[in-house]
Amino acid sequence: MRSISILAGLAVALVLPVWAQGLPRDAAVNAAAPNKTLEPRVVTNSGRLEWLPHAHNLTPWPTLSHEDRRPAPKPRKARLAGPLDGDAGRGRDIAVRPDKGYCIVCHQIPGEEWPGTVGLDLRGFKQRQYADAAVYQQIFDARVNNAQTVMPPFGTNNILSEQEIRDLVVFLQSLE
Amino acid sequence: MKRIALLLWLSLVLPLAAASDAHREYDAMETYEPHVRGDQSLSGSYKHWAHPGKLDWRLAGNPEENWKLNWKFMDPPFNASVHGGHFALDRGEQLFRELNAKARFARCLGAGKAGLKGLRARYPQYRADLKRIAGLEEVIEYCAAREGRVLQNGSYDNSAVSLYVASQSNGMPMRVDVGKGVMRDAFERGRKLFHTRAGKLHLACSSCHTHKVGLQLRGSVITTPYGDAVHYPVYRTRYFLQSLHLRFAECNLDTRTQPLVPGSRAYTDLEVFMTALSNGYPVTVPSERD
Ligand code: HEC
Ligand code: HEC
Repeated sequence: MRSISILAGLAVALVLPVWAQGLPRDAAVNAAAPNKTLEPRVVTNSGRLEWLPHAHNLTPWPTLSHEDRRPAPKPRKARLAGPLDGDAGRGRDIAVRPDKGYCIVCHQIPGEEWPGTVGLDLRGFKQRQYADAAVYQQIFDARVNNAQTVMPPFGTNNILSEQEIRDLVVFLQSLE
Repeated sequence: MKRIALLLWLSLVLPLAAASDAHREYDAMETYEPHVRGDQSLSGSYKHWAHPGKLDWRLAGNPEENWKLNWKFMDPPFNASVHGGHFALDRGEQLFRELNAKARFARCLGAGKAGLKGLRARYPQYRADLKRIAGLEEVIEYCAAREGRVLQNGSYDNSAVSLYVASQSNGMPMRVDVGKGVMRDAFERGRKLFHTRAGKLHLACSSCHTHKVGLQLRGSVITTPYGDAVHYPVYRTRYFLQSLHLRFAECNLDTRTQPLVPGSRAYTDLEVFMTALSNGYPVTVPSERD
């Protein structure tokens, strides 16, 4: 009996932290690691697969696990309040940085080699004369304009802050 | 004691019950033929790589267009260079001989009279002893454990053995029957997973591999999901030997999605789906990919 209760206690200790976060048990995580998410590393001539801490915590978003019952964030309308107040230089930086917007993975902007062609060419963007609010919405959550879009919902999923999206709008609207 | 049991039960059941109809989003759901020729109605590139022995040299040499070969120019016989995949193959053969010293290991993998010949082409398959569908690497881990050896799914040594087993089916067409029963169910689950949005960037596999084939993500061109499973485990020119499940984990990480462990049910369903999309195409190892 004692051993059963110890076992059950252990099971709670092991299971609870994972389930409390709604994380499936087959996710590659270490609850004690700073970013939780792990990435595999293959070690030559070894029968063991090594797991290293990943640079980002990816656990808050839904996985492909059959056990994962967590919802994906729904499309969100954004309201652009007050003056735009962004910075084109910062916007450009956000557009090219892999850890920020990394828009160039899908889009072409002036002066970047190896442009992505999955999204539209954004050179000469200003000539399209979109309203700032429309561009803001497109970046914040493109699903509002196209439910099947592949463009990530940068605002809704907290990939970029409101200020960073404002910087991007100013940058795009400056592209002659 | 009772209270602990209740707690345990609650911790397991509550999160499930609370969110059983959670909002998830899916890409436009496409249908796929469980045969490599299905690519004719997806990217249409199949005609360029249908015959591994007869690839067009000019296409291979043109960086604008070589994606149309589905990177098959990095497979033998076109790619005749010696690379890390060959060293892995040698290691795999040696490990296989050690594991199979008592002739039990091959039988455990499912080898019959024909030995290892054709075995690779029939995986993933339902395993009565495991009571589930398993990929070759999962079965290698299981059968090695029965011989007292740790060969974790995704590890170099596991993939090396898988590579050796696959080499014994080189040139034989993949044939995984997803026409009925549990295999058809797994194919359908895999197809749905392939279209399921996940992760911080809210992308599905199909967002790229079905709906944006031939387009560029910076330096890489997205290719068709047809005909990919036949060259796994693959040697990645930059670093390492990679099983198919670890490639899934890589695409997950690249799109800021929490990866799953190799051998997870979801990755196995994806493997069933992608392997069926290679049916009819010859097993081709050892191969390289960038
Ligand atoms: C995964 C690919 C992808 C990424 C990353 C991406 N986009 Fe897009 N974007 C698209 C696609 C595809 C479209 C075309 C509209 C659609 O399909 O919904 C688009 C459309 C747009 C448009 C509308 C263009 C027009 O003229 O109508 C803007 C503006 C835009 N993207 C800005 C951005 C910015 C800024 C970033 C980075 C923060 C970004 N995109 C990142 C794929 C992407
Ligand atoms: C943002 C786009 C994108 C998404 C989303 C994506 N991939 Fe990929 N994937 C790529 C690119 C680019 C490559 C390398 C070029 C190629 O082979 O298509 C690749 C390669 C692969 C390969 C290797 C193909 C080979 O020839 O060896 C497999 C297998 C694969 N992806 C499966 C998946 C699966 C399964 C998913 C969903 C879990 C997924 N990918 C999601 C872009 C993507």
